[in-house]
Amino acid sequence: MAGKSFEHPVSLWEQLVNWADERYHMRELMHALLHVYIPRDAKTYYLGGITLFLFGVQAVTGTLLTLYYQPTPDTAYDSVLFIMGNVNFGWLIRSVHAWGANLMIIFCGLHLLRVYFQGAYKPPREITWGVGVALLAVTMGFGFTGYLLPWDQRAFWATTVGSEIAGSVPGIGEHLLRFMRGGPDVTDATLSRFYGVHTLLLPLTLAAFLTAHVVLIHQQGLANPKKPAKPRRLSAEAGSQPATENERALPFFPHYVLGELIAWYVVLALLIVLASEFPAGLEEKANPFQTPSHIKPEWYFLSLYQMLKLVPRTVGVLAPMVALPILGLLPFIDRNPEVAPRKRWFAILAGVVVLTGLAALTIWGLSS
Amino acid sequence: MARKLASKKTEIRLILGLLITFLGVLMAAGLVSAQTPTPDTAAPTLTPTPADSAEASVVIPTAIAHPAADGVGSCFECHIDLGDKQTEIAEKWQASVHGKAGIGCADCHGGDPRTDEMNMSMAPEAGFIGIPPRLVIPNICGGCHSNAQRMGQYNLATDQYAKYMTSVHGAKLEHGDTRVAICTDCHGTHDVKEASDPSADVYPLNVPDLCARCHSDTSLMESYGIPTNQYETYAASVHGEALLTNRDVRAPTCASCHGSHGAKPPTSAEVVNVCGKCHTATQEYYQESLHSRIGDNAPKCWTCHGNHDIFRPDESMFVHPKPPEERHCGTCHMDDQSFRMDKSRFALREDRRCDTCHHEGSMIMAQVAALRTALTNADAAYRKAEETIKRAKSRGMIVTEAEAKLTEAYTSLVSARAVLHTTKLPRVTELTEAAVASATAAEAIASSELGENFIRRQAMIVSLSIIGLIVATLSAVKHELYKQLQ
Repeated sequence: MAGKSFEHPVSLWEQLVNWADERYHMRELMHALLHVYIPRDAKTYYLGGITLFLFGVQAVTGTLLTLYYQPTPDTAYDSVLFIMGNVNFGWLIRSVHAWGANLMIIFCGLHLLRVYFQGAYKPPREITWGVGVALLAVTMGFGFTGYLLPWDQRAFWATTVGSEIAGSVPGIGEHLLRFMRGGPDVTDATLSRFYGVHTLLLPLTLAAFLTAHVVLIHQQGLANPKKPAKPRRLSAEAGSQPATENERALPFFPHYVLGELIAWYVVLALLIVLASEFPAGLEEKANPFQTPSHIKPEWYFLSLYQMLKLVPRTVGVLAPMVALPILGLLPFIDRNPEVAPRKRWFAILAGVVVLTGLAALTIWGLSS
Repeated sequence: MARKLASKKTEIRLILGLLITFLGVLMAAGLVSAQTPTPDTAAPTLTPTPADSAEASVVIPTAIAHPAADGVGSCFECHIDLGDKQTEIAEKWQASVHGKAGIGCADCHGGDPRTDEMNMSMAPEAGFIGIPPRLVIPNICGGCHSNAQRMGQYNLATDQYAKYMTSVHGAKLEHGDTRVAICTDCHGTHDVKEASDPSADVYPLNVPDLCARCHSDTSLMESYGIPTNQYETYAASVHGEALLTNRDVRAPTCASCHGSHGAKPPTSAEVVNVCGKCHTATQEYYQESLHSRIGDNAPKCWTCHGNHDIFRPDESMFVHPKPPEERHCGTCHMDDQSFRMDKSRFALREDRRCDTCHHEGSMIMAQVAALRTALTNADAAYRKAEETIKRAKSRGMIVTEAEAKLTEAYTSLVSARAVLHTTKLPRVTELTEAAVASATAAEAIASSELGENFIRRQAMIVSLSIIGLIVATLSAVKHELYKQLQ
C-alpha cells in the first residue's frame, strides 16, 4: 500500500498570506516589524501609542468632517451647524474630533514628560527626541489652525489674538502676521489658508515626522530606564538596538501590543464619554465688529497668553521661540549620561519647576 | 371880521384834528385788542406769559474785562512757586480744561495779568475781585459760557446760565440764598474737567453721588423741607442698579429727570415727557390710553412706577394680593363726585396697583384681569422655554434655532408689556399670543434636543459596555500570555 500523505487543510487566510508572501516576502517583513523585544523595565505607559491612536482618530473624523464642512466665512458656521444638527452622527464625529484634539495634545505632552523624566532622550536617541518635539509643535499647530474653522465668535477672536501675538515678534512680526492671516485682518483669506494648512500641510508633515519617529524607535528599540546607554559601544546591552530575546526582555508582539490595544480601547471609551456628555459647542457666528468681553485662547496656549500679560511683550513672544529649539536640542545640551533620577537631580528639578510654572500660569489664565 | 373868520377856521381845524386823532387812537386800540388774545381764547400770545417770564427776564452777564495776558500770564508764573495751597491751585488750573484752553486767572478773578507787580496786578483799580462771592459766581461763569461766539469753538451749549436762573437753585440764589448749588459746587473751581471725563463729578456715573453731597445732608435739607433719602431709594431702584452697579452710562441719573443746570422737580404735566425721553414707545402707547386723556389728575408714569424708587415692573402690579379691606373713595373722588388723584395713596410700592383706583367687580377690573392673565401666561411660556433651552444647552446640545424662537417670544412679550400702557386688551392679547406661540415653538425644539441627548446617553452606555467587555477579554488574554512568559 503506497504511503498516503495527509496534507493539513490550508485556510483561505493562509492561502492569501502565502500568495502575498510569495510575491512580497510579507512574512519576513512582518517578522522584522513585530517580532522584536523590549526591555521589561521600560515603562512607557503606552503614552506614545495612545497619541498615535488619537492621530488616527483625528485623521478619520477629520476626513469625515471635510465631506460637509465649507471653508468660507459665509458658509463655514452654517456648515458646522448642519453637521451638528442634520448629519447622522455629525455631532459625534465633530465632538470626537474636538475632544481628540485636546487629548492628543495632553498625551503628546505626557509622552514627552515620560521620556524626559526617564532620561530616554539621551544619546543615541537624540534625533528621535528632536523629531518628537517637532511632532508636539505640529500637533499644537493643528490645534491653532483647527480652532478657527467653526468661524464662531470664540474661534474668530482667539485667532485674532493668537495671530496678534505672532505679530509682536521683533523685526519680522508684521510680515509674520500678514503671512498667517493672508492680510492685515482675520478674513476669508485667513480661513482658507488655515483650512489648507490644517487638512493638507500639517497632516502630511505630521505623517512624515511620525514615520521617522516610529522607524527610529523600531531601529533602536525602547530605552532602558534603569541602564544608561553607552553610545561609544553600540550594542544591544547598551540600548542602541532593540533588546534581544532574554529573560529581561518582553516580546513586542503580542505581549506589548496587547497592552497597547487595551489602552487604546480605554481612551476610545474616554472619547465616547466626553463627546456624549460634553459635545463640542458653538458660539454665535463670528462678528468682526463685536469684540467679546473675555477672549481667551485654548488651554494649551493659555500659559503663554498669561505670561505675555506679566512680562514685556518682546520677551513673552521670544520665550517660546527660544524654548522650543532648546527643548529639541536638549540631548545635545544635557551631556549627563545618567538616567537614574537621583543621578540627574538638576534635570529633574528643572523639569518640575518648568512644569509647575506652566501649570500655575495656565490655572491663573483660566481663572482670570 | 376877516380875523374872526380866520380864528373860527383855526378852531374848526383844531377840533377836526382832535377828532381825527381820537378816531385814530380808537382804531389803533381796536387793532391792538384784536392782536392780544383775551385769557379765555386759545390763540397764541405775543407777550410772555408768567410761566416763561423768568426765562425771558434772564439778563445774560458779560465776561470780566481785563487786559490780555502775555503768554501764560504773570499770575501763574508767580503762584506756581508760592508753595502749599497756591502751588496746588496753580497745578490744578494747569491740568484743568480751562488751563488747557488758556482761560486764565483774570478771567474769573479780574486784575491785570500783564504785570508781576502784585500791587498793580491785584489792585482793585485793575478790576481784581479776589475770591468771587458765591452770589456772583454764576454771573462770572455765565459771562463766558453764555457767549455763543466764544463757546462756538468748543462746541458747547450757551444756555446753561439761562437754565440755571430758572432752576430751583438759581431762583433761590437770586433771592440771596447762597447755600444752594452754584456752578463750582458741581464743576469744581480751579480743577474744572470736561463732563465726558470719567473722573469728573459731573460724569454720569458720578452724578448721583454729586447730588447726594447736598441732598443727603439732613441739616442742609431740613430748612427746605426736602427729604434726604433719595440717594438710597434711587440706588436700590432699577435705574440706580443700572447706573451704579452695572456702570451703564445710558441709565438715567438725577440730571436725566430733574435737569442739570435747570434742576427742578418735574411737574405732573411734565412727567410723561420726562420719562418719554428714554421710554419713547411706552410714552406713545400711554398717550393712546384713556388715562392720558384725563388731564393733570390722570395716573401718570409715577403713579404706578414711583419716581426715585422705580422697580422692575411685573404682573403683580395689577391687583393687590388680597383686595384692600378699606376702600378710599377719596383716592379718586372729591366730595362733589368730581375726579381727583390722591397721590399719597400711591406712595407705597404695594399700593401702586390697578385696584387702588378701580372697583372690584367693575368692567374695568374684568379687563385688568384679562390683561393680567394674557401677560402672565406669556411670561410663564417664555420662562418655561428658557429653562428647557438652558437645560439642553448645559448638556452641550446646539439650540441656536430654539434661541432664535425664544428671542422672538421675548420681543413679543416686551412689546406686549409696552402696549399694556394703551390699556387696550385686543392689542395686548395679539402680542401675548404671538409670544406664547414663539415660546412654545422654542420649547418644542429644546425638548426634542433633550430627547436626542437621552438617546445619545443610552447609546454611550451600550458602547461603553461593549468596550468594557472587549477590554476584559483582552486583559484576560494578556494575563494568560504573561503567565506563560514567566
